[in-house]
Amino acid sequence: MAGVITVAVVDDDRMLRDGIRSWFAGVEELRLVACAATVDELLAGPWEPPDVVLLDLMLRDDRPPADNIRRLRAAGSRVLMISVVADRDRIVSAISDGADGFLTKDHELSVLVEAVVEIAAGRTAHSPELAFALAYDRGSTRPRLSPQEREVLVGYASGLTLKATARRAGITVNTAKYYLDRVKAKYQEAGRPTYTKIDLATRVREDGWR
Amino acid sequence: MVIATALYRGSHLVAGGAVVAQHQRDRLFPWLALVAAIAFTALIWFMAARHRRLVPWAVGLDVLVTGCLLPFGAYAWGGARAQESIAWVMLLGGSASAMAAVAFGARLLVVAVALLVATHLAGYLMVEADAAVTGAHLNALVFSAVVSWVLTWYLCRQGEQVDEANRRTLAAEAQRARFAERVAHHNALHDTVLATLTAIARGGVDANTSVMRERCAREAAYLRRLVEQADDRESASGVRAALEESVRAAEALGLRVTARYHEPPAVPGEIALAMARAATEALNNVRCHAGTGHAYLTAAGDSGRLIVTVVDRGRGFGTGSAGPRRSAAPEGSGGSEGSGGSARPVTGGIGLDRCVYARMRGVGGRAFVDSAPGEGVRVELRWPG
Repeated sequence: MAGVITVAVVDDDRMLRDGIRSWFAGVEELRLVACAATVDELLAGPWEPPDVVLLDLMLRDDRPPADNIRRLRAAGSRVLMISVVADRDRIVSAISDGADGFLTKDHELSVLVEAVVEIAAGRTAHSPELAFALAYDRGSTRPRLSPQEREVLVGYASGLTLKATARRAGITVNTAKYYLDRVKAKYQEAGRPTYTKIDLATRVREDGWR
Repeated sequence: MVIATALYRGSHLVAGGAVVAQHQRDRLFPWLALVAAIAFTALIWFMAARHRRLVPWAVGLDVLVTGCLLPFGAYAWGGARAQESIAWVMLLGGSASAMAAVAFGARLLVVAVALLVATHLAGYLMVEADAAVTGAHLNALVFSAVVSWVLTWYLCRQGEQVDEANRRTLAAEAQRARFAERVAHHNALHDTVLATLTAIARGGVDANTSVMRERCAREAAYLRRLVEQADDRESASGVRAALEESVRAAEALGLRVTARYHEPPAVPGEIALAMARAATEALNNVRCHAGTGHAYLTAAGDSGRLIVTVVDRGRGFGTGSAGPRRSAAPEGSGGSEGSGGSARPVTGGIGLDRCVYARMRGVGGRAFVDSAPGEGVRVELRWPG
């Protein structure tokens, strides 16, 4: 890792983009390389694909969020979803579609920076709001979670620190984090697109049915 | 109607019993017939008691056996050759047709009454009864059915009207509750968000002070919850409204609260109130002792049980000798609740425990307080306990 993480913001609220620019100006480990109102605008720009893109969950462009996330991933960026309100169904979809984390916009700068660093390192940015959305997912395609995964998820969703969550479950912090990562992995696994019959056959083989 | 037809049948059975005891005491069949009639009546009542209505197949069996077969039996084996001696058996047909009118739909009822009329006509013809007696009896058969059908229809209609009125009352009440909630929200918006925005727009207020920023953050949190509530598919719930009030009260005192709800099960009003008061207590405790300005509140259901948690990430306190997963000890038992506190003032812990435990136990719920130094406090309220 080169040391400095490149970041871009896609949000149609100019005030927020300006706010983030001035916020990130004082952070050494991050460099904000681009601000755009849409993913199209970002991808059309002259810059290298940034390491992490902060993507607004409720962009008012015409593209479906899943499409936006896939195109950013295809371009080589990782995606942190941000939003003013925690619309749980959309959060769950975004994770299934390949986003690596979710934060509401009311967090302090340190939390945001930490989330970006986590995601740039290929890990997941966990937050109570994301855990709550996953713990109480009402979708019909939600994956089956183990009792330990559920316990950690619900504990973290209630606002406990990861450390307190781990202590209550009688496990180490690393194991607790591993459970949270596994929940996300299960969602992304379940969210793999199945478009064609060939794809479906591949999926079946991947799942070890043949 | 079940009781009315039961009484009707009862009167016929008593009359039958009297006739048998007086005039046919030495014959076996009348006794058997009486026992059979009583047995079928008992079956109908038993099924009706279990299903809380007359059960069509039991009534149908009664119509066939008591109504249609017994008269022939009385003729064939009972030696009834005169209209007087068969009359009591015939009477039972009247109550059978009355019960059929309650239990059956229109088409089946017509069939049952026709069957009864045909067999009873045949029965009276066999004993060569007076035309007048036969006519009167058949008339009674038909009108037993008609009268009880009309009564049933009338009662059902009355019942439906009462149900409809109840439904309308409930709907009106829900409407009123929604209206009250809206007024409460309007007032809150007026006192907070609107006031803040107006002050900033008017100018002369420095919006970039920490006090102002904290105020904006609190009010944004309130708006966020409003929007999320509108997004949720669940309807307005009493528990949510009560907890929201606790959250807003804590916010008014300067605490930032992240509140999240997931389909909290409906609970009686006093339970919602007790939960909210306990939550207020827990939030107060965060504000006064946790050393953090931020608390999390969640409310969700767990297999029908309402679970509310109030969590902070503050300094926490030691829970003494108990294990990591300490559960609620009864109030005052050893006074251990929170008193092992190292970082936290002892009184705070005890106050929290006393109030929360007592409140929850008072309404048949339970409370759990869990903490460790440096790891914040988690208060869980559940109902039923």
